[in-house]
This record gives sequence, structure tokens and C-alpha cells, in this order.
Amino acid sequence: MFLFLALLDNPEEQEKFAEIYSQYRHFMWYVANQKLQDEHLAEDAVQEAFFALTRHLDKVEEVHSPRTKKFLATIVRSKAVDILRKSRPEEELSEYLSEDKGGADILEQYLTKENYNRLISCILELDDSYRVIFEYKYIYQMGDAQIGDILGISAKNVNVRYFRARKKLQEMIRKEGERF
Amino acid sequence: MKERESLLEGEKLLAQALDECLEEDLSFIPPERELARKHHFSEEFEKTIEELLEDASDASRKRIQKHFFPRYGQWAACLLIFCICSGLFYYIIRPLPDQTESVQEGGASGSADTGFDELQEEAVPEFYEEPASDWEGEAAEEDSASGYAKEAYSVQEADLETVPGKKYCGQTVYPAEQQEVPEVLDYATTLVNCPVLDEENPILILTIGNTGEEELRYLNHYMLEVRLDDNWYVIPERLDAPEEWITLEAGMAVDEEIDLTDYHIDYDAQQYRLITRVNQELVSAEFTFGDGFTETMDLEENSLEE
Repeated sequence: MFLFLALLDNPEEQEKFAEIYSQYRHFMWYVANQKLQDEHLAEDAVQEAFFALTRHLDKVEEVHSPRTKKFLATIVRSKAVDILRKSRPEEELSEYLSEDKGGADILEQYLTKENYNRLISCILELDDSYRVIFEYKYIYQMGDAQIGDILGISAKNVNVRYFRARKKLQEMIRKEGERF
Repeated sequence: MKERESLLEGEKLLAQALDECLEEDLSFIPPERELARKHHFSEEFEKTIEELLEDASDASRKRIQKHFFPRYGQWAACLLIFCICSGLFYYIIRPLPDQTESVQEGGASGSADTGFDELQEEAVPEFYEEPASDWEGEAAEEDSASGYAKEAYSVQEADLETVPGKKYCGQTVYPAEQQEVPEVLDYATTLVNCPVLDEENPILILTIGNTGEEELRYLNHYMLEVRLDDNWYVIPERLDAPEEWITLEAGMAVDEEIDLTDYHIDYDAQQYRLITRVNQELVSAEFTFGDGFTETMDLEENSLEE
């Protein structure tokens, strides 16, 4: 546990951490429980999220801001995804064994104002394991190494997941477009 | 969380959409108070987080300790001894009625205070008198101890006669009254948490934390001591700075800046400690410049040689 505290190194950060814990622990548990449907596993996810947070507390500027709430939701959701993945090893294995279906990454072409509503509905449908990668990368501007540190995977694997997420989203938007 | 400027237009749109979706998801979540009524965390969970918070506090303390080579080995017995010594000092020794009278009888003019000063002068020659008047001279450097240091020394006049002072950085330093000073009190702790890397940046940050449940008072005048031959010696201050008792609320911490240019020190690898008076007790924070300054200088010397 001592290692988790490497960056929680002054009274201000400790106070901030304690405030976050006091303010958001039930919220985080609820988010995790939505995903896991298991109260105890949800507590595990919250615990893991707090451990991860000790190393990335610099991302939190204002404890009582909506942005902080979203950041905590992303962390705890990613931890819940991680727990689910571990509880279903066949899924984890399939992810690493699965091959890309090929094709160019043309997501950028779909990211237009005209496609915005389609983009929203696809993101809501997107698997959380991909969506959290997007959130870390685009909402919180985190690098692969930072994301990997939270998720407990290498930066290279973060990059792999990121490109799979892009392709998945691209495919969803294309299919959504074909329906109309 | 600063925005990355280099986001492409499409990526900005994606970021906006992700943010909107997240906001929508979270909008369905009941408020924290309501959730707290519905779910109670397991004892195991609460205990783990509690330990996490406690360890965090210990972690920062240990990290600083490691950097500055502090010595945490002070026990309650030391505290008790100190309290007894303080009591003796304030109520028995300090007034010195008999000695003062004898000095007065011996021809000293003026009040009892004057007699006391003269007595001190006999015991500690040229050490406390007129601290700020002419400190530029060598004698004045030795004369410039603060009133706080005066208190420390007045109690051990006899000792000073038997334990000689030492020469340190062109000044005479005398042994500290209390060699064993606790580094942590039950309700307070002090840490030197800003390394002095060189003589150009001579500011130390002393953090005083109130870890108790009641407010405490500390004196914003600190005594710097250096360890020489296994004893602590008080380094006199150049200027007689004003002293003030400051109140610190429970659970709060405060950072105090210590300007080392107020002292004659050599920034070498000796051990130092800052003594703070908290309520009626003393607490110390040990440190050394060995990690920072001397290593930096060695590196610079090596790079120059190369």
C-alpha cells in the first residue's frame, strides 16, 4: 500500500484526498455497482480507484467541481471494467488474441457536426472498456503512460486499445449511418 | 486539467460528445446523501481507506525523514524530563533571588533585572548582551543570540562554566540546554520540508502540524542547533527577531519560512535541527544539507573536471 502513496506527499494532498473520499465514495460505489451489479465487487472497484487516484491527484483541481466528479466516474468505471475482465478470463484472452479486421482508420472523417447526434448515440452504446480510454485521452488529456498506470497495463496496450476503440466507434457510426 | 491545444477539430468534437455522454450518464445518479442512506460500506473497506489515509501521513513524514537524516527516537520520558526542567527554570532558577541580591549588594546599580543580566554576563561572557547593536564585528556575532536562546542558556549557567563553547563558523557556540528534544509530540509535529540546495536559496520551510484535537500555540521564533561531536550546540542569530505566540487550530498545519542568512552556518554536512516551542514544550526537526547541497556541488565539480 505504501507504494500507492508515492505522490500523496504533503498535507494539502492528503486533505484533498480525504475530502474526495468523504464527498464521492458513495457516488463512486454507485457507478461501479451499475456496471458490476455486485455490492462487494463495487467496493473493490472503489478501493482500487482510490489507490489509483493517489497517483493522479494532480488531475483534480477543484474537489467540488463537475469535472472532478466525471474524472472519478471514469476511474471507477475503468476499475469496474477491469474487475469484470478479470472475472471473465475468456474475454480478456479473446481481446488479446483478436486480430484487427483491417481497414484504414477513418474515424476523423465521421467526426463532423453533421454526425454529432449519431456520435452521441454510438458513444452511449460503446463498450465501457473502450469508452474509458477515450475519456482519459480526450476529456482529461492523459497520455498513454498515465492511462496505463491507472489501468494497470502498459502504454503500448493502451495504444492498442485506443486504436481498437477508434475502429469500433468508426464502425458503429458507419452502421448507424446505413440505418438512416 | 488543461486543455491540449493541439486537438484536431474532429477530436474536439469527440471530446465534447464524450463529455456530454458522461454528463448524461451521471445525471441519473442520486445525490451522495441519498446514496449514503442506501449503502453502508463494509468495515473492511472503511478500514482499508482509513489505513490508506494514515499511511499517507506517515509516508510523507518518512520520506522527509529519509531525505534529511532525522532521528526519531524521542520518548515520553524525555518530554517528562523537559517539562520538569521547564518548571524548574520558570519557577525556581530564573528569578534567582539570592544571587540577584548578592550581585546588587556587590555594588551593581539599578534594578533586579540589571543584576540578573550581569549574572548572565558572568556566566556567558559576551553572548547575550545587546544582540542587534553591532553584530558586524566578531564579538557582536557571538553576542547576538535571541531571547529564546537566552532562556535556554540561563538555566545552565553552571554547565556553561564546565562545558566549554566550541568555535563554529567564526563564532562560539554553546551546548543546547536540552540535548534530547522529541521530534513528535502527541498533538504536534514539525518537519523541515524544503531542502536548501545552495547558499543562493537559503530559505528552509518548517511545517508545524497540529495533529491533536485542540488548538495549540507555537512561538514563531526558532532555535537553530548544529551537532558537533555528538552534542547539539545553539547557533546564535545575527538579529534579535521579535517573538510572537501564534495559535494553530486542530488538524491544521502551517509553513514557516526560516531564512538561514540570519545565522552563520557553513552549509556543510553537519546535522542541524530546528527547535520550536509548542505550548510549553519543545519539539525538534532534524535535517542536514548533505543530500542536497554537497552532492550538487560534487556533481558540478565532476562535470567541470570532465
